[in-house]
Amino acid sequence: MSVHDQFAEDLALHALGALAGQEKETLEKHLEECSHCRGELQQLQSDMTLLAFSTMGPVPPPKSRKRLLRAIARERGAQVTVPKRSAWWLLVPYVVSTALIVVAAFLWKESRSLNRTLANLERRHAEMEKQLRVAQDLVNTLTSPESKHITLAPVKALPQPQGKAYYLSSSGHLIFLANNLAPLLPDKVYELWLIPSTGSPIPAGLFQPDSHGAATVVNPPLPIGIEAKAFAITIEPAGGSPAPTSQPIMLGAA
Amino acid sequence: MKTADTRAVASDADLVSAIASGDESAMGQLYDRYSAIVYSTAVRILGDRTTAEDLLQEVFMQLWRNPAAFDSNRGTLAPWLVAITRNRAIDWLRKRRPETLVADVSLAIEPDLASKTDFARFAGKIRAMLDRMPKTQKDVLEMAYFEGLTHSEIAAKTGQPLGTIKTRIRSGLLALRTALTQ
Repeated sequence: MSVHDQFAEDLALHALGALAGQEKETLEKHLEECSHCRGELQQLQSDMTLLAFSTMGPVPPPKSRKRLLRAIARERGAQVTVPKRSAWWLLVPYVVSTALIVVAAFLWKESRSLNRTLANLERRHAEMEKQLRVAQDLVNTLTSPESKHITLAPVKALPQPQGKAYYLSSSGHLIFLANNLAPLLPDKVYELWLIPSTGSPIPAGLFQPDSHGAATVVNPPLPIGIEAKAFAITIEPAGGSPAPTSQPIMLGAA
Repeated sequence: MKTADTRAVASDADLVSAIASGDESAMGQLYDRYSAIVYSTAVRILGDRTTAEDLLQEVFMQLWRNPAAFDSNRGTLAPWLVAITRNRAIDWLRKRRPETLVADVSLAIEPDLASKTDFARFAGKIRAMLDRMPKTQKDVLEMAYFEGLTHSEIAAKTGQPLGTIKTRIRSGLLALRTALTQ
């Protein structure tokens, strides 16, 4: 099971606004970091609007159209008529009023343009803040005094492979670095497990070593507040497993 | 979906641009094109035609006041209006403060629904898909979409396990996606 599969059903619920509580929080956290799942969410939101088309039948009464167009005309203030005057100087107030309306319209247009610019800047600012939060989380996981640093060693006395896990249970953040790992057959994958004080091992990410035997796992989706007793690595079939299917090849107590 | 109507029809994007310039007739054209789907969605959720007329007015007034919120690069106008109508109707139904800003709605489907014939054909396709669906699945999907219930509320109402609700909702949405591509 891949990380994305794990969230597939929650994504559908989230698209409908039907997800709540801890599951919603966990998914939203994952969405901040996963463009694949953000794309799937957008697609599911589109799918759900198709349901609305099954309601086609009732049509609004004609007065609704008139009501809308009246409201629009009112907002535009388009109902201005100028009475005729015999003396030119009597027109002066109207000329001034017209000039003021033109200036007001110009300022209104400018204001709309500035509002759009402001909205763009706010969007960009929010994006940068989000990136900063992610960076701060990473630094905090590495440097926090509460962060546990665990070194994983091979169960059988093979000297080379080594893994280090940095785990902050209060935020659920995990950084795992490994090196000197043996390459795997194409249908196999390394799977990292968080072993809680009580209960079953929790999947904490899949990885394949690069040509130098190095691999990293950064912030896999994990529940918040789980105290780790240990971390372990097993070799699983490609795509990973929901529970370990083989004995750990590396293990480290927290 | 292609329309059989060969006359030149202004695109949604062109009409929305015209609205941004204050063109009331463009607003009238968009109303004629999409008021039926907005209104029928509102009637289905709110169950009351008078309230649905108020919501119809609100949705189109929002488009008039803030046409820039619709980005034609992110989807077409019909599903965009439907999404806003549904979200706002659920807010009204559950007496919530508005949760969805107009600009937040971003959709990926691209049904090109320029004529009433297109709408009727498209609606028929969706209805046929729903009719083929098992009743339990259809009910769950409609409870989530038209009543705005959470999966826990649906589970409590139907007595089905949470996991079953999740699976039925997802597979139901995927079946609708398939119907769109057929």
